[in-house]
Amino acid sequence: MVSPAIALAFLPLLITLLIRYRYYFVLLYRAVLVRWVQDLLTGLSREERAFQYILTHSIPGDPQSILDTFDHWCSKVEFISNIGPKKGKILDRLLEEIRPLTVLELGTHCGYSTVRIARSLPLGARLYSIEMHEKNAQIAEKIIRLAGFDDDTVELVVSPSDEVIPRLREDYGVEHLDFVFMDHWKRCYLPDLQLLEGSGLLGEGSVVLADNVVFPGAPNFLRYVRNSGLYELRLHRASLEYIRGIRDGMAELVHRGVK
Amino acid sequence: VKNERNPKAKERDTKRKLEIHKTTEQKTENKKRKRSHSKQRGKRNIDDEDKGGEQISKQKKNRKNKKTKKLLTEEAEGEGYITKQKKKRRPQVDEENANATKQMTPEGPPKKKKRAKVSESEDSSSEKESSEEEEWKVTALTPEELEKLKEAVDEKKKLITILRGKPWPMLKKLQTLKESHDFLEKFEGALGKGKAKKLYAYKVMMLKRWMKFQRDFENFKTACIPWEMKIKDIESHFGSSVASYFIFLRWMYGINMILFGLTFGLVMVPEALMGKPYGSMPRKTVPRAEQASAMDFAVLWDFGGYAKYSVLFYGYYNSQRAIGWLKFRMPLSYFLVGVGTVAYSYMVVIRTMARNANEQGGGDDTNFNFSWKMFTSWDYLIGNPETADNKFASITTSFKEAIVEEQESRKDDNIHLTRFFRVLANFLVLCCLAGSGYLIYFVVRRSQKFALEGLENYGWWERNEVNMVMSLLGMFCPMLFDVISNLENYHPRIALQWQLGRIFALFLGNLYTFIIALMDEINLKRKEEETVKLNMTVWMANLHNGTLAENSTAPPITADPADVPRGPCWETMVGQEFVRLIISDTMTTYITLLIGDFLRAVMVRFFNYCWCWDLEYGFPSYSEFDVSGNVLGLIFNQGMIWMGAFYAPCLPALNVLRLHVSMYLQCWAVMCCNVPQERVFKASGSNNFYMAMLLVILFLSTLPAIYTIVSIPPSFDCGPFSGKNRMFDVIQETLEMDFPAWFGKVFSYASNPGLVLPFLLLMVLAIYYLQSTSKTYKKANAELKKKLQAQNEENKKKNKRAALKASDPEEARNSASEQQWHQINNNASKKEMDTWGCKN
Repeated sequence: MVSPAIALAFLPLLITLLIRYRYYFVLLYRAVLVRWVQDLLTGLSREERAFQYILTHSIPGDPQSILDTFDHWCSKVEFISNIGPKKGKILDRLLEEIRPLTVLELGTHCGYSTVRIARSLPLGARLYSIEMHEKNAQIAEKIIRLAGFDDDTVELVVSPSDEVIPRLREDYGVEHLDFVFMDHWKRCYLPDLQLLEGSGLLGEGSVVLADNVVFPGAPNFLRYVRNSGLYELRLHRASLEYIRGIRDGMAELVHRGVK
Repeated sequence: VKNERNPKAKERDTKRKLEIHKTTEQKTENKKRKRSHSKQRGKRNIDDEDKGGEQISKQKKNRKNKKTKKLLTEEAEGEGYITKQKKKRRPQVDEENANATKQMTPEGPPKKKKRAKVSESEDSSSEKESSEEEEWKVTALTPEELEKLKEAVDEKKKLITILRGKPWPMLKKLQTLKESHDFLEKFEGALGKGKAKKLYAYKVMMLKRWMKFQRDFENFKTACIPWEMKIKDIESHFGSSVASYFIFLRWMYGINMILFGLTFGLVMVPEALMGKPYGSMPRKTVPRAEQASAMDFAVLWDFGGYAKYSVLFYGYYNSQRAIGWLKFRMPLSYFLVGVGTVAYSYMVVIRTMARNANEQGGGDDTNFNFSWKMFTSWDYLIGNPETADNKFASITTSFKEAIVEEQESRKDDNIHLTRFFRVLANFLVLCCLAGSGYLIYFVVRRSQKFALEGLENYGWWERNEVNMVMSLLGMFCPMLFDVISNLENYHPRIALQWQLGRIFALFLGNLYTFIIALMDEINLKRKEEETVKLNMTVWMANLHNGTLAENSTAPPITADPADVPRGPCWETMVGQEFVRLIISDTMTTYITLLIGDFLRAVMVRFFNYCWCWDLEYGFPSYSEFDVSGNVLGLIFNQGMIWMGAFYAPCLPALNVLRLHVSMYLQCWAVMCCNVPQERVFKASGSNNFYMAMLLVILFLSTLPAIYTIVSIPPSFDCGPFSGKNRMFDVIQETLEMDFPAWFGKVFSYASNPGLVLPFLLLMVLAIYYLQSTSKTYKKANAELKKKLQAQNEENKKKNKRAALKASDPEEARNSASEQQWHQINNNASKKEMDTWGCKN
C-alpha cells in the first residue's frame, strides 16, 4: 500500500508535465475533443462545418477573404490542420521566387493551401491537387470554385497519391514538375518522393516543399533527403498552425539535377 | 643577404611555423608567447614614453629580461631557415626583383613628433645595414668592424622590441621582424670568436633541449590531470557550462580523497589492526538476538548486523587510551581527525574562493554591449558541428534579443509586465517550497508515530517514507522550478543562478527537517539509555548474586559479550542514518540517470523509426544536461558527508566511491544520451557561485555536528569517548597525561579569557584593516576603469573627427597613427589595471 505522502510527492511532476506540454494538451482538446463533441452535436463532419462557415462569412471570388475566414474559423472556432497564415507566407514567398508553371499538391484536404497556391501562380500555370477522400474532395472543390479558380488552373484528382503519381505523365500529360507541395499523410512523404523521383518528373530546379516535418514530423523523410544528396535542404522553422507553442517546420528541397 | 628572400620561401616558412603550432604543444607555446608578448608590450610602452639614450639603456635591460624561450625558438627556427636559404639561393636577378618589390612597398606614414625621430634613425640604420652586411660576410673582422657589428646587433634588437608600436602595415612588420631575427641569428654568435662561438652553439642547443623537455613535461602534466581529456571532450560538445560541472566534480573528488586518506589512515586502519579484535567486547559483538540475521543481505544493505559492528561506525571503537605497540592514542586521533577534516574543508573552500575572486577582474560593461557580443560571444571550445550550429543560432538570437532589448529599453513599457511575471514566478516558487516543506514535516511526524508504535508492524513503504518523499521532492521540484523560471525571461546565466538558489532553498529545507527529526530520535535514544543503565546494574547484580550463591571464592564469571545488555548507542544510529541517506541518494541519482536519460534516449532513438511523429525533434526528445540540479546534488551530498563523517568514518570512503562512479557514469551518459542546450552559454570553469554555496553548506552542516559533539554526552558503552562526560574531554585528558605539567599550565593560561579576548579583538581589527585596504584597491580599480572609458570615449570622438577629415589623405593617416598610439596607451593602462586587480 503506497502511502498518500509519496503520492503527493509526485504532484510537482504532474504540474511540471502539465505546464511544459500545455500546448499539446490544448491541441488535443481542440483537435480531438471539440471535434468529437461537435460531430455528435451537429451530425456533420468537421469539413462540412468549415464549409458552411466560409459560405456564410466570406466574399465569393475573393481568395484573400476566403483564406482569412478559414484562418478565423481554425483559430477561433475549431481546428483543422491547414498550412496556416504564418507558414503560408513562406509558401507565398517561395512561389513568388520560383514562378512555377506546373504545380503538384499532395493532400488537398479542404482546399486552403490549394487556394493559397493558386492565387499566387503566374498566368497559364496549372495546379494538380490530389486528395484521397471523396468527401473532403467535394468540399475542396466547392471552396476552390468559390474562390474563383476554374478547371484550367486547378485540377482536383480524387485518388490516393501513390496511384496518381505514376500515371501523371500518361493521364495528365505532365512532363516536368516545377513545384511540389506535400501536406498529406506524413508517412507517405518518403514513398511519394521516391515515386516522383522514379517517374522522372523532378528535374533540376524543381522545388519540393513538405509541411509538418517537425511536428507531427517525418523523420524518415528528412533522413532520406539528407543522405540522398539529390537535394539542397532548407528547414524553415515556424510554429504549428493556429497554436503558438508547438514548434514545427517546413522542409524546402531544391533538386540539384542528375548529372 | 636578407633582401633576397623571395615570397615563396617566406610562404613556406610561415607554413612550417603554422604546422609547428598545430602540434600538441600549441597550448603551452601560446601561453609562453602570450606572456612574453605582454611583457614586451608593457616594456615597449615604457620605452615609447622615454626618449633617446634612455631608451637604449632600457632596451638593454629589456633584452636581458627577454631571454625568454619565445625569442630563442624563433631564432632557432630562423637558423633552420637560413640553412635552407643557402641551399636554395637564387640567381642575382631574383634578388634584384625582391629589392624592387621591397622598395615599392609603401613606407610607413609619418608619426607623431615624439616618435618620428626615433623611427627615422631606425629606418636609416636599417638601410645602412643592408649595405654593410655584405662587408661583414668577410670572415676576418677588424675590431672596428666588430664594434660596428655590435652596434648593428643592438640596433636590431631594439627594432624588434619596438616593432609592434610602429605604424606600418602588418606585412612590413612581419618582414622586418623576420629579417632582424635572421640578422641577429647570424651575427650574434659571430661576435664571440673560436671557443666562444662553440660555447654559444652549445648553449643554444642546450636551451633547445631544455625547452623541448619543458614542453614534454607540460604535456605530461596535462596528461596526469585525471579525466582532463574526458572533460575537454564534453566541453567541446556541450559548451563550458556543462564542463564547469565536471570540473567541480573533479575538484570535489580531490577533496574527498584527502578526507578519505585522513579517516582511513588515522582512524579506521589503526583500529582494525591494533585495536581489540571482533568479539572481545560487547560493543564489538553482534548481540545474541540479532546474530541469526546478521549476515543477511537485506540487513547488511541497511547497514545493520556485521556492518554495524565494524570499524565503519562510531560504536565499534574502544575507549582505550592507547592501542597497540605504537601506543596510538585512538580517541584523541578520532577527535582530531573529526575536527581536522572540517577545518581542512573550510580552508580549501575559502582559499579557492579567494583565488577565484582574483580572476573575476572586470565588472559588467554595458557600454559596448554589441561590440562584446560581436567579438566575444563565440565559444572556441565547441568541437561538434551540431553544437556549433546551436551556438550560431543562439548568437543570432542573442543579437536579435539585444536589439529588441535596446529598443525596449527606450520604450520601456513592457518592463512592468516582466516584473509582474518575475514576482509571480517567485511567489509560485515560494508556494512550492512551503508545500514541500510541509509535506516533509508531515511525513517526519508520521514516521515518529510509526517509530513509537514499532516499525515491525509496517511495510517497506512506511519505513522508507521519509527517504522516498525527500528523494522524490528533490527530483521533481527542480523540474517545476525550471518550468516556472520560463516566466521570468532571464538570461540563462542569471536563470541558472536563480534556479540554483531555489533548489538550494529546497534542499536546505529538506536537510534541516531531516536533522530535526534526527535530533528527536537522539533524545528518545538517550531516554532509552537511562533505562538500560538501570537495567545494567540490576543485571550485573544478578550475575554476581548467581555466582556468589554457588561458590564465593572463584573469580567472577564473565558473560559472553553477545549476551551483555547494551545501550542504544545514538552515535551509531546517526551514522547509520546518514549512510542510508547517502546510499538512497546515490541510488536515486543513478536510477534517474538510467531511466530519465538512458532509457528515454533509447526509446526516442529506436521508436523513432515506427512512430507517428518525430520523437527526436518533437515531444519527448533527448534530455538536456541539468547543470543546476547536478551541482546542487553534489553540494548537498558533500554537506551530508561533512555532517555524518564524525559518526560514520566510512562516509568519505563511500563518497569517493560514489564520485568516482558518477564521474564515469555521467560522462558516459552526457555523451551518449544528452543533447546540447539550445542556448549554449558561457560559464567560467571556476565558478565562485558554486563555492559560495559549498561554503554555506559547509557551515550549515558543521553546525549540527558541532552542536551534538559539544552539548550531548557520549553514550556510556560505545565509541572512543565512552565514559567521558563530553567528547572534547579527550583533549584535556591528553594534556594532563601525555604532556609535561608546565605545558598544561601554559595551555590553561593561554585559554584564559583574559588572553583569548584580546587576541580575538586583534584578529577582528586585522580583518577590518585588510578589508578596508582591499576596498581602497577596488576603488582605485574602478577609478582606473572610468579613466579608461573616458579615454575610449575621447578616442571615439577623435575617430569621428578623423573620419570627417577623411578627404585629406595626409590628415587621415595622421589621425590613424594617433589612434593607434592611443590604442597602445589604453592597452598599457589596462595591463596596469590588471596588476592592480591582482594585488587586490
